[in-house]
Amino acid sequence: MNVEPREQRETDGNVATRLDDAWVTIVWNDPVNLMSYVTHVFQSYFGFTRLEAEVRMREVHEHGKSVVSSGGREKMEVDVQAMHGFGLWATMQRSGT
Amino acid sequence: MGDDAAERHVRGFTERDGLAVVELDDEERAVVARIVADVGLLLGGEAFGVYSMSQRPERDEADEIFAHLSGLEESLAEPDDPAILRLLPNAAPTDREVASEFRRLTEGDLRDTKVARLRTLWEQLSEDGPEWEVQVEDAMATAAALTDVRLVLASRLSLNTDEDADRLHTEIELAEHALDTDADEDLMVDPERVWLGMLYQALTWLQESLIAIVMSSEERGRNE
Repeated sequence: MNVEPREQRETDGNVATRLDDAWVTIVWNDPVNLMSYVTHVFQSYFGFTRLEAEVRMREVHEHGKSVVSSGGREKMEVDVQAMHGFGLWATMQRSGT
Repeated sequence: MGDDAAERHVRGFTERDGLAVVELDDEERAVVARIVADVGLLLGGEAFGVYSMSQRPERDEADEIFAHLSGLEESLAEPDDPAILRLLPNAAPTDREVASEFRRLTEGDLRDTKVARLRTLWEQLSEDGPEWEVQVEDAMATAAALTDVRLVLASRLSLNTDEDADRLHTEIELAEHALDTDADEDLMVDPERVWLGMLYQALTWLQESLIAIVMSSEERGRNE
């Protein structure tokens, strides 16, 4: 599955033109979390369709990480906390850094 | 990320009347309850039920099946245990200010959430009868608690990459074969590692089977 275009769009900074869109939440690969579980967490928490959730999950698994949300710093704190709640390895950073 | 390919020989949850159910014998149930309680303590929760590290007898007959957990429990008592970082990771490794602000805002809530889920799981396992029953609507909370337990075991087993996890499967298969053929002395099997690895695999398959039930139940819900 080709998932490069999304990765490009997120990292080249074009999405971060609005001030409240300046941060991203990244989920990283780890050997413990199960593919089905990660897919379901993405679906239930972010409201992704099954297909969208699977694309993100595959991106994490095969490319080591995926940007799963973007927005203001406080919103990203909420998303990262939720991911940690599910046992996923998530971090936040300024978009484009 | 993990997948279930190597776990299929372990019993998993099946669905029955809106419940996810798995049968565990007394020993399996006791071992899972014990590791769940250990992770609860690691997260700073009160001891679950009458169980507590300090009240436990040093070593007796009943404690024999837990012998392989003792090394894990000792390492969990260390203040800088890396397992705690798997449960409460650094949210911004390249930005100390963001990371410490995040920890200050969220760590208490995260600990409470995780301890509460582990306690529920422990209570389910402490009920009488051979079956462990989980309501399907509570299954994701149970799956999340199982993730936390598996993260701690993975830390102890030094599973840092997908390749490490693959190697563990091979290691256990070799060890099982060696034990079957009484060749374990030649193979330098570390019984504690094999035992913890098998526990990790059993919990993996329990979690995987639980998620399959959640997903198929939601699929049905969408189609109705």
